[in-house]
Amino acid sequence: MTALLEVTGLRAGYGRNEVLHGVDLRVPPGAAVALLGSNGAGKTTLLKTIAGLLPARDGHVLFQGTPIEKRPANARARAGVCLIPEGRGIFRRLTVRENLTMQVGRRQLNGTLERAADRFPRLGERMNQVAGTLSGGEQQMLALARALVTDPAVVLADELSVGLAPVIVDVIFEALAALRAEGRSLLLVEQYVERAVGIADYVYILQKGEIVFVGEPSQCASGVVFARYLGASA
Amino acid sequence: MREYLPFLVIGLASGSIYAIAAMGLVVTYKTSGVFNFAHGAVGMIATFIFYSLRVDVGVPTWLAAALAILVVAPLIGVVIDRVLLRRLRGASASSYVVVSLGLLVGLQYLAIVIYGPATRSVEPIFSRGTFRLPGVNVGYDQAIIVAISLASALALAAFFRATRLGIQTRAVVDDADLTELMGTSSARVTTFSWMLGCSFATLAGVLLSPFLGIDAVLLTLLVIKAFGAAAVGRLVSLPRTYLGAIGIGVGESLLTKWVAARPSLAGLPTSLSFIVLFAVLVFSRKGSFAELTTQAVRAAGGARARLAQARARRFPTRLLVVAVTIALLLPARLDGSRLLTATSTLAFVLVFASLGLLVGLSRQVSLCHAVFVVFGATTLSHFQDAGIPYLLALVLAGLVLVPVGALVAIPAIRLSGLFLALATFGFGVLAQYLLFGTKYAFGAKALRTLSRPEFLGVSFLGDKAFYYFVLAVVVAGVLAIELVRVTRLGRLLRALADSPTATESVGVNPTASRVIVFCLTAFLAAVAGGLLGSLTQVVNPTSFDFSQSLFWIAVLVTAGPATLGGAILSAVLLVTVPAVFTAKAVTQWQPVAFGVMAIALAQAPNGLAGLIRIPDFSSLSKASAWRRRTTGSRLGERVAARAAPGETTAGVRGVPGSMAGAGR
Repeated sequence: MTALLEVTGLRAGYGRNEVLHGVDLRVPPGAAVALLGSNGAGKTTLLKTIAGLLPARDGHVLFQGTPIEKRPANARARAGVCLIPEGRGIFRRLTVRENLTMQVGRRQLNGTLERAADRFPRLGERMNQVAGTLSGGEQQMLALARALVTDPAVVLADELSVGLAPVIVDVIFEALAALRAEGRSLLLVEQYVERAVGIADYVYILQKGEIVFVGEPSQCASGVVFARYLGASA
Repeated sequence: MREYLPFLVIGLASGSIYAIAAMGLVVTYKTSGVFNFAHGAVGMIATFIFYSLRVDVGVPTWLAAALAILVVAPLIGVVIDRVLLRRLRGASASSYVVVSLGLLVGLQYLAIVIYGPATRSVEPIFSRGTFRLPGVNVGYDQAIIVAISLASALALAAFFRATRLGIQTRAVVDDADLTELMGTSSARVTTFSWMLGCSFATLAGVLLSPFLGIDAVLLTLLVIKAFGAAAVGRLVSLPRTYLGAIGIGVGESLLTKWVAARPSLAGLPTSLSFIVLFAVLVFSRKGSFAELTTQAVRAAGGARARLAQARARRFPTRLLVVAVTIALLLPARLDGSRLLTATSTLAFVLVFASLGLLVGLSRQVSLCHAVFVVFGATTLSHFQDAGIPYLLALVLAGLVLVPVGALVAIPAIRLSGLFLALATFGFGVLAQYLLFGTKYAFGAKALRTLSRPEFLGVSFLGDKAFYYFVLAVVVAGVLAIELVRVTRLGRLLRALADSPTATESVGVNPTASRVIVFCLTAFLAAVAGGLLGSLTQVVNPTSFDFSQSLFWIAVLVTAGPATLGGAILSAVLLVTVPAVFTAKAVTQWQPVAFGVMAIALAQAPNGLAGLIRIPDFSSLSKASAWRRRTTGSRLGERVAARAAPGETTAGVRGVPGSMAGAGR
């Protein structure tokens, strides 16, 4: 089966510091992939390079079979690769409505807002509020809702649950599950390893810029894999 | 009170024009993070095109204005953004300052080449008629200008609130990367903001031209008045900028009336916007101004930059010996005006070497260097009148400028980068308008005479003798500068230019080191000014006006700000070349060339001097070759230079090359 998103031999980094040393990764259509690894392994760098915020120094990023590593980030986003960056991926000084509609034409405007309000009713009540004044959970919901505006084929989510109350984390994961149900692919970087593995079809473990483990969640069940690569605490 | 009413009306009209210019400046700065010093110059060039279309081609006024504002200006904006700035991505704040200064210099002198230096009067655009409001006559043109300004402010506000492109622009301001992730090209949005900014600058220029006429310098500086208004809006708030501009316009106009009876304050109204600019910067708390320009990411070209730095770190013994030898022999072959040119070149070596200490070493752009030079000359003249012996007077003249330098630097330096440039610029203009006319500088005669030195029974009155005197002083000054470079202060400044946070974290007080170097350059520039004054034996307020400060930056960046060689080259290019090659093509285009070259070389580690490869004669000596082979640090630098990113071997991955080399 051809992958929706495929990364081959990817090298990237900052300045003279190379972080990714030839990473290979596949995200099949409709599948959820969990990308795990300890701090500094290069997870965020990998997502940024796929999305186009960092240039690839070598290797390819293929989306639906076409190389996209030379395209600017905005073109990749329009093609259907959507990154929700670490932290809160929202425009803090814009209102909720502006956050959701900045990329939408006038005709689709109402539909977009309705869909967002359906999925996250709390956002629906706060359309004219400035996004920076929302609570952490609401901000993350907005980030998710905002990401969906572009109707992406694959969502790259970077640590969505950081700093959120468990109840809110539930809402976020429900939303992620709903995305999958719509047939979108997911590439998840998560600190809640169990939960990420829980919804994943495949698990990749990144260590010092190299993929050291590829497998299915069942292979991780024993905990041996995690103990070996992520340390006992995971 | 009634007699102030007409001035209120005039002030509202001029304030409205400043507001248009200032809003354009703020829109561009907010979106792109680049403060455009050439904002006024862009408006000036496009206004000249409006003038040409209207007068030379005979296009109807409204069409000429529309073409200038809606076609020419946006085109200039696209060129600035796509051609000049895009390649700078990730460069330091000072590189951006340098590029826009280069643009300012280039455009200004280009306009002089094309249209000549004279002011041209412009036919009124709107009706000259007036109507009566209670207590005052108002011109239709004034009313229309106020209306246009208000309308553009409201249109701008509506644009940012209600249109998709406007919201996208605000999104880019908020988070450019995230905008990209949303599928919007932040580059496209930024380009649009440049088009918008340039259009506003041109609109201001066109509206202003019937009142003041157009020439290359005047209009550039008048639109720069927008700087003060933009500072009131902290460079980001459009409503505050608008109100600030109106306030400055009205304040200026009312002051004009008020100082009419007080001739000693005649410079006050013109300086108001710069007083505001300076005051806002000085009284701002640290952090209240967002520095939008992306900080230096040391990536591409790093190895070459490090090599240039390494060269700047060494004491240039060879160059000094060669240069001094040539300088000692020169007078034997020169006489008359050639000798004066040579003397002037020497003094300018000190001017540029001291400026290089700031621009090249600590990466601070100072835009009031010419003021120090001028005050050096006038202060020396005052001390001479007081009967103080020459050498002492020269040193004292330099010392007087030290506290002045500190006064400018201390408040501005904590704001860093762009804001130091802005504050020094404001100070330069203020000094010229407010202080040049006072008894501390030129006085009412607008002229100071100086004599040449005579001491210890030796007379330096003759041109040849004075040449040697200047040479001695300049060599002493240059030695001091080169010592600073290679000692602890120099290392600190280099470190500060590299990473202020990291340097501060090891216990260095960044403000102290920067202020010390600023004071030192003020001292040396003043001494150089004294020498230049003694050379011509008479100075007047037009000898070095503040625009020279901007021009010198362009020259220095072109020639090479980081080394003594660059300073010498600067002086030769500025002074010697037009004196030797007197063809009109050379003298006319020389300043334009400096502007263009400064833009091109803004990111080069050391300008032209960095591109010239001086053969390394010392390699002929076995001893020095051996020394080089065994010196760890130099070897480290070469290893660093050779290892391109990504080529670092596994063992030293992530370790800066110089450290890796030092261990071997």
